[in-house]
Amino acid sequence: MKLYDYILSPSGYKVRLMAALIGVKLELRPVDFHPGLEHRSPELLSLNPAGSIPILEDGDLILTESSAILVYLAAKAAPKWLAGEKPEEAARVQQWLSFSGRLTASLGAARLHEMLLRPGDIAALQAQGMAALRELEAGLVEQRLRGMRFLAADRPTVADIACFPYVALAPDGGVLLDAYPTIRLWSRALRSLDGFIEMPGIHRLHELKPEPQIEPGEA
Amino acid sequence: MLADTTGSWTPVALSADLPAGTVNPARIATESIALWRSDSGRVAASADRCPHRGMRLSHGFVRGEAISCIYHGWSYAQAGNCLRIPAHPGLVPPETIRVVTHAVEEADGVIWVAFGTPASIPPKLDGFVPLRSLTILAMTAQIEAAAGAVANSEGLIESGTIRLLLSTQHEGETLVHVLVKDDADVATRITASRTAENLRRTAEDLQGKGSVQ
Repeated sequence: MKLYDYILSPSGYKVRLMAALIGVKLELRPVDFHPGLEHRSPELLSLNPAGSIPILEDGDLILTESSAILVYLAAKAAPKWLAGEKPEEAARVQQWLSFSGRLTASLGAARLHEMLLRPGDIAALQAQGMAALRELEAGLVEQRLRGMRFLAADRPTVADIACFPYVALAPDGGVLLDAYPTIRLWSRALRSLDGFIEMPGIHRLHELKPEPQIEPGEA
Repeated sequence: MLADTTGSWTPVALSADLPAGTVNPARIATESIALWRSDSGRVAASADRCPHRGMRLSHGFVRGEAISCIYHGWSYAQAGNCLRIPAHPGLVPPETIRVVTHAVEEADGVIWVAFGTPASIPPKLDGFVPLRSLTILAMTAQIEAAAGAVANSEGLIESGTIRLLLSTQHEGETLVHVLVKDDADVATRITASRTAENLRRTAEDLQGKGSVQ
């Protein structure tokens, strides 16, 4: 499986993270998103006329849209990351997959504005991002009251992976995360999962690694 | 909330939001703090600034009974003294390297922090338990108007089935801890959470209109 990817893309990271968590090997094909705008080159537009990344190639299959790619990887290698049989759980997975698009359109656009100087009304994007974070916090509070640590169940699903990166990188777009204690707990739970990988701006939990011991004279 | 909080307690966070081995950012009236809980469960509050390079300690991490700065790994005990400087493994850090700390009390599921040494203990919640904390971009007056009740001297507002414990953050920003009766079931708690969201919308609308002074 080949992933057309960009190291700073939160949507590319969703796919890399999902693959790492379920032990799927990906061949990474770096795309010069910035400054080269390679995602709008004839080669990539022929794969995805929408001109967006990530794109996943698996044999003859070409998939675009990160949520679809997450579902594909999970269905292939780890179906427990999809919704189970309960109607409510199935609906919640869909709800948060849809919601993740709003995170991209608000927090993601604010981040592109602040990091890559893309045009946009930054105050409006930040306000929309804050509204989305409040919705996520409220949703997670209610799940916690039901005894569940994740968005759709008491186990992580593709919905959590779809929402996590743009939330974790919100400060890149000037939107602070200090005011969301339940998002903080959820983020910790995701970063504690076996196989969790980092991307620039999202680090793993240092306390889970053994403390480095340096002897005097070694430093 | 009184402007001078020296010697009084501020409710900074809920116990359930600070598991063992974690650090959170928090505020007491005039400054940012790093609120952390050691692996053995002890809560501590320090200035949110590493004395080495000024990095926020709330970006750091907790190992055992110490908090470490994310930047160069300097670690500090609950009392604020520096325990370890990784770049100088043979050095016992001098007593002069310390981070400012504040008094902490934890009671009824709420973590309270104070400047100085308060004469009293934090107020009791009397049959109520914390549900969640949320930040409202409004002042106490707007929140009181939205709740239809006035805060008592301990910063507590009684509004229908919920109680609100207020802590002013910045100008125009208030941290609100929502409390429910300790025997409330899950459905009642979810309703209370939504009631608090409605109250926030109302208070922020009032703040935007400037109709309450």
